Amino acid sequence: MAVSQVNLRYAMGVNMDQQDIILSAKDIEVKFDLRGQILTAIRGVSLDIYRGETLAIVGESGSGKSVFTKTFNGLLDANGRISEGELLYHGENLAQYKKEKQWLKIRGHEIAMIMQEPMTSLNPLKTIGEQIVEAIRIRDKKLSLQEAKKEALGYLKEVGIKDPERRYGQYPHEFSGGMRQRVVIAIAVACKPKILICDEPTTALDVTIQAQILKVLKEMKEKHSLTIIFITHDLGVVASVADRIAVMYAGDIIEIGMTEEIFFDPRHPYTWALLSSMPQLGIKGEDLFSIQGNPPNLFTEIKGDAFAPRNPHALKIDYQKRPPYFEVSATHKAKTWLLDPRAPKVEKPAGIARLRELKAN
Amino acid sequence: MIKYLAKRMGRSLITLFFIMTLVFILLRLMPIEGYFDNFDKLTEEQIQVGLEGMGLTDPMPVQLVHFFEDLLHGDLGVSRRYRSNVAVTEILASKIPISVQLGSMSILLSLLCGLPMGILMTKNKGKMFDKIGTLFIVFIQAVPAMVYFLFIQLYGTTLLNVPLLFDASNPICWILPVFSMSLGNTAYYGMWLRRYMVDESTKDYVKLAKAKGVSEGQIMVKHIFKNAFVPLIQYLPTSFLNTVIGSIYIESLYSVPGMGGLLVDVIKKNDNNMVQAIVLLYAIVGVIGLLLGDILMTAVDPRISLSKKGGGR
Repeated sequence: MAVSQVNLRYAMGVNMDQQDIILSAKDIEVKFDLRGQILTAIRGVSLDIYRGETLAIVGESGSGKSVFTKTFNGLLDANGRISEGELLYHGENLAQYKKEKQWLKIRGHEIAMIMQEPMTSLNPLKTIGEQIVEAIRIRDKKLSLQEAKKEALGYLKEVGIKDPERRYGQYPHEFSGGMRQRVVIAIAVACKPKILICDEPTTALDVTIQAQILKVLKEMKEKHSLTIIFITHDLGVVASVADRIAVMYAGDIIEIGMTEEIFFDPRHPYTWALLSSMPQLGIKGEDLFSIQGNPPNLFTEIKGDAFAPRNPHALKIDYQKRPPYFEVSATHKAKTWLLDPRAPKVEKPAGIARLRELKAN
Repeated sequence: MIKYLAKRMGRSLITLFFIMTLVFILLRLMPIEGYFDNFDKLTEEQIQVGLEGMGLTDPMPVQLVHFFEDLLHGDLGVSRRYRSNVAVTEILASKIPISVQLGSMSILLSLLCGLPMGILMTKNKGKMFDKIGTLFIVFIQAVPAMVYFLFIQLYGTTLLNVPLLFDASNPICWILPVFSMSLGNTAYYGMWLRRYMVDESTKDYVKLAKAKGVSEGQIMVKHIFKNAFVPLIQYLPTSFLNTVIGSIYIESLYSVPGMGGLLVDVIKKNDNNMVQAIVLLYAIVGVIGLLLGDILMTAVDPRISLSKKGGGR
C-alpha cells in the first residue's frame, strides 16, 4: 500500500514533501485571432502548482509566460481563447469559464495579480487608500468604510510604507516607483488570495529597489501563506525567490525542476543557453554569450523541437518529432531528445559548471 | 490656489485690456456714419458738432482713456443705429437672459444624451450601438448644421404645432430650438467621451482593477468614466458659454429674440458702440471659459496643481 502510494506520487511528478496541488493545468493551448491569422501562443502546457510554493516561470519575451498565467484568472485579451485543455482549481475547470460572473469569483479573492509597471498600474485619479479599500470591500461586502480603512492601513504598514495614515490619502503620483509597487502588492494581498501571480514585478525597478520588493513579497508569502507564481526573465531574481523553476520556450514548458536542479543540472539545450547568457557568468574581456537566431513564428505549426533551429546540438529527430518529457528526477523533467537513451552524449557548456563555483563564493 | 487665481485674473484683465484697445482703435478707423442714425440728412456742421459732442474729435489716447473710464462705471455707451439712443447695456440686458436660458437647456440636454451615448458606445465597441452612434456623429459633423436645422424646423413645427412667433412663456416654443442646438454638442461629447474611454480601458490600472475582482460595469463607472472625463471637462465651460452667447442659425430660424446674430447685425449697421460692447462680452466669455476649464481640471485631477511649480506629473 505504502509503496504504491509513493509510486503513484512519483508517477504524477509530485514533490516529495507531501504538497498538494492547488492549481493544475493540463494540455493548455491558447490561440489568438490576429488580423485573420491564428497565433498559437501556448502549445499544450501541463503544469501542477503546489500549495505554498514559489514557482518561477522564466523565458524570453514572447515565450508565453504572461499569456499562460493570464488564463488562470481570465485576463486574456478579447481575441485570445483557451482552445484546448483543462485548468483545475478546487474541482472547477477554469478553462470552461465563459462569463465574467464566473471569473469574478476567482479574480482577487482566489487568484490575485501584480503587474510589471508600477508607474501605470494604479488609477492616477484615486487615492491609494480608495484603491486598497475597493479591493477589501469586494471581498468583504459587509465591511463598513471605517473598518475597511483600518484594514487597508494595516496592509500599507505590512508592505513597508511609512506613515500609512498620511500616505492613505495620497495619490499615486506622490509615490516613487518602488513605493507604488508596494501599494500594488498591498492591493493584491488585501484581496486575500490563495495564489498570487507576480508578472515581472521588479523588471521596471532598479536593482536596490528590486531587492526590497522581493523581500516584501517573501514576507507577504509567509504571513498570508500564499502560493506565488513568479514570472520573470531575470535569472538572478529567480535564484533568490523560487522553489521551483519552469522554463518556457515558444509557448511550452521545456524544462521544469527544483531551483537547484535547473541551475546546477540543466538538461535542455535552451536552458543551457539561457543560463550561459547570464551576465554573472561573463568573463572579463570576452563578449557575453547570446543565443543565435530568433524564436519561431507562432503563426505556423511548429514541427519537432521548437528550439532545434537555434540549437547547435540539434539532432535529426529534433526537426521531425516533438520530444516528450523525460524525467531526470521525481521533480525534474525536460522535453529534449538528448535525454533519450539512444541519444549521443552531449556535454553541457562550460559556463554552466561555473554556476556552482559562483554559488559557493 | 488663491494666489494662482489672483495672478490668472490679473493676466486675464491685461488680455481683455489689449483686446479692447485694439478693437477700439480699429473701430475709430471705421466711417463716421456709425455714430449717427440719420447721417444722410445731416449737414457738415451738424456732423462736426455731433462728433465733438461725443468726444470723437479728441486725440485717440484721450478717447481711449474716456472709454475705459466709462467702462469701469459700467457704461458701454449708447447705440446709435441698431436702436437709436438706447444704452447698449439696456439692449444686452434684454437679450442675454433668453439666450442664457436657451443655451443652458441645450447644454444640459447634450450632456444628458451625449455622455450616456459615449459610455454605451464604449461598452458596445464594434457592435450595433457603436455603429449607429458613429453614424449619428459623422452625420452631425459632416452635414452642414443648417440642413438638419431646416428639416427639424420644417417637420417639427407642424408636428408639434408650434406657433410662428417665438413666445418665451410657451414651453412648446422652446422644444425645437433647444433640441436643434443640443445636437452638435451631443455628438461632440459622445465622440470624445467614447474615444477617451476606449483609450483609458486599455490602461494598466484597468487591468489591475480587473485582476482584483472589480466587475466590468464597476470599472466603467468608477475608473474609466471619471478618468476619461478629465480631458473633456476642460472644454466644458467654454462650450457652455459659447452656447449661451447664442447661435445665429437657431435664433433667427425660430425668431428667438436673443444674442445670436446680434454681432453680425450691428456690424452690418455700423453701430460702433454696439460692436465694441459685444466684442468685449465675447472676450470676457472666452477668458472666463478657459479659466473655469482649468479650475475644473484641478478639481478632478489631483496630478494637476495650479499653485505649485514643477509639481504633479
